Amino acid sequence: MSNILIEFTINGKKRRMQTTPSTRLLDLIRDDLHLTGTKEGCGKGECGACTVIMNGELVASCLVLAPQADGAALTTIEGISNGEELHPIQEAFIETGAVQCGFCIPGMILAAKKILEKNFHPDEEEIKRGISGNICRCTGYQKIFDAIKLAGNKLSALNSGKVGKDE
Amino acid sequence: MEEFRKELKKIEDFSKSYSVGRKNIILNRHYFVPQTIKETLGILSEYGRDIKILAGGTDLLVQYYDQLYEVGSWLDLRNIEELREVKIHKKYMVIGAMATHTQLEISEEIQKYFPVLSQAAADIGSPQIRNRGTIGGNIVNASPAGDLLPPLMAYQAQFKLVSAKKEMLIPAEEFFLGPKKTILKSNQLLTQIILPLPTKKTYGSWIKIGKRKALIIATITLALVVKMDENDEVIEDVSVCLGSVAPTPVEIKEIKEKIIGKNFKKLDFNLLGQIVEDKISPIDDIRGTKEYRKDVAREIMINALEEVELSSRRAVK
Repeated sequence: MSNILIEFTINGKKRRMQTTPSTRLLDLIRDDLHLTGTKEGCGKGECGACTVIMNGELVASCLVLAPQADGAALTTIEGISNGEELHPIQEAFIETGAVQCGFCIPGMILAAKKILEKNFHPDEEEIKRGISGNICRCTGYQKIFDAIKLAGNKLSALNSGKVGKDE
Repeated sequence: MEEFRKELKKIEDFSKSYSVGRKNIILNRHYFVPQTIKETLGILSEYGRDIKILAGGTDLLVQYYDQLYEVGSWLDLRNIEELREVKIHKKYMVIGAMATHTQLEISEEIQKYFPVLSQAAADIGSPQIRNRGTIGGNIVNASPAGDLLPPLMAYQAQFKLVSAKKEMLIPAEEFFLGPKKTILKSNQLLTQIILPLPTKKTYGSWIKIGKRKALIIATITLALVVKMDENDEVIEDVSVCLGSVAPTPVEIKEIKEKIIGKNFKKLDFNLLGQIVEDKISPIDDIRGTKEYRKDVAREIMINALEEVELSSRRAVK
């Protein structure tokens, strides 16, 4: 199958890559870019382990062909921390003990990010709906809910701090 | 072999003719990204039989899981902006075939005029699926369990099918032939879904039954749309459509004569539920048995009638 040249931005960096029409975005991210934080669970869009943010939207990267990402802006789990400094959502997951085996967590954190972009203080229903595409087989979800609530508080505090400084 | 080479050459020349003068467009003989409907139709009339049309990919890539390499050519519709438009006109609404389930879910106009469609979209899959999956894909895929299909039939949707030579409008109920089978030809593209705007006094109910809330292929679905007269007294029209109970989504027309022209108080909900149960032809599969689906069809018909009656009564107050 012939090669296709695509361009996209991933975690803030511009990339040009050769790929093929039968390569999934998931394979491009893991095998070609070696960003292995994005996981493959079911390969059929049902588990959410392969979740990435594409053009601002949560997507299952196993259900996107690499050429479909031409021109897109992508964020994977590797792109949400600021260098060595963890993102507040990552901190919150650690502090609440919301991580057990960890396989679902990259997708879970990106889904949490989208929930908290809309609302720093989501209720339980909003959280459930927001992570309904992400399956966790270890935690029973309760600590993940707690982590997302805590992360919302952290982000809310940071945000109000920023507003204060600007004034 | 010679013929094969000739064919490849033809495809390459064709691709070149479409890629001239544009930046950043990946086009080769295996992956077409047309910018307009016209270009799309040109590609389809040339290669329709051998090409897979890619909308959101949420069904297609599952279907071809592990065998993506078997697909000879892809036709990716993502750059055709007009296919994503949701527009309201005086008497009808036009939804572009590439509008995503998320778009249907959050559009205030769809929530207002077609709440059953909006709720059905909100119940599909997960955020990840709703952000990619499209209304056109749901229609063309023609799964008996396609969540948007019963609401579209209940709202009397028409589908605009366009080929290089002509375009036509097809009522939703004539479009589906069987599981994954439709009247769509390989040189045609579904471009728009056209819905007549309902009157103010139109109420609806959407019920989806599955083993869990998210990411479930429906065991059974029901869309009920009831049009009342101005005073919320007499039922002027009704449509009840079900999914996952037959080879295609179906409308139960037998209930019409029992409902139209009457007041809710005069209706025998149990009898209407029984009619729905009797008229469907579900199968046993992993999501539920035939008997289960028949029982549940009756119950959700009754629930839907109760919900609509309540909405109508609330509107009077």
